[in-house]
Amino acid sequence: MSEPYKRSRSLRRLQIKVPGGQTKSHYRERKHKLGRCHVTGQTLKGVLRERPDDMKRFSKSKKRPSRPYGGNLSSSAMRDVFKKKTRE
Amino acid sequence: MIEVGRLCLKIAGRDAGLKCVIVDILDDKLVLIDGETRRRKCNILHIEPLKDMIKIKKNTSHEDIKKEFEKLGLKVMETKPKQKTERPRKKRKTPDQLREQKEEKKKLMDIFKRKKEEEKVEKKEGSSLEEKAGLVEEKKEVKTKEKSKEPKKVKKEDSKKETKTVKK
Repeated sequence: MSEPYKRSRSLRRLQIKVPGGQTKSHYRERKHKLGRCHVTGQTLKGVLRERPDDMKRFSKSKKRPSRPYGGNLSSSAMRDVFKKKTRE
Repeated sequence: MIEVGRLCLKIAGRDAGLKCVIVDILDDKLVLIDGETRRRKCNILHIEPLKDMIKIKKNTSHEDIKKEFEKLGLKVMETKPKQKTERPRKKRKTPDQLREQKEEKKKLMDIFKRKKEEEKVEKKEGSSLEEKAGLVEEKKEVKTKEKSKEPKKVKKEDSKKETKTVKK
């Protein structure tokens, strides 16, 4: 019987080819869900999807778009926010 | 609404949310803008025109726009022009320089060799003074072992010869 953490589905499985030629299943922690726009609900582009330890490798400009509300709102939702401000 | 001197709000890109003024109309889609944003050409869809106007001529310089914006209480973005630098290229060393390099290496190697030899000599001298008594005893043991080995070999050889003769 395998160990309990291998029986549960909390970890994701990777099929990796080992140097001997066999394929073995490795166990890694799951990535978080895709980022979504708060207003429109569409998936955000240019937002990284990695574990916190792997996030250290990337610079700030590679983790999210460098415009205002980048990483929270989609570009179309952001435009609406600024348009509304001008028309008040 | 789209005309020279019209104040606008940029609503796309990294300068979104900053105010700018239209300096020139390049196309039916593109305009030249300047102000809080970078001085650049921009699509009409990426700016939102405001009510206010500034009295400027077509293609006015950045410095004049800066003065007009200061009257409104707005700061202008200053961009540094890129400094042109020459591409770094590898230079081949002349044969004279290569010779000098080799000579320097040889000198260093000689120094290290001397040091190593000196260290070896020092170790031997230090050990001989302190451990002379011990070494002598060890040598004796070695000699005795050698002596004990030699006759045994002879015996083995003799025995082999005997066996060969028997086989014949």
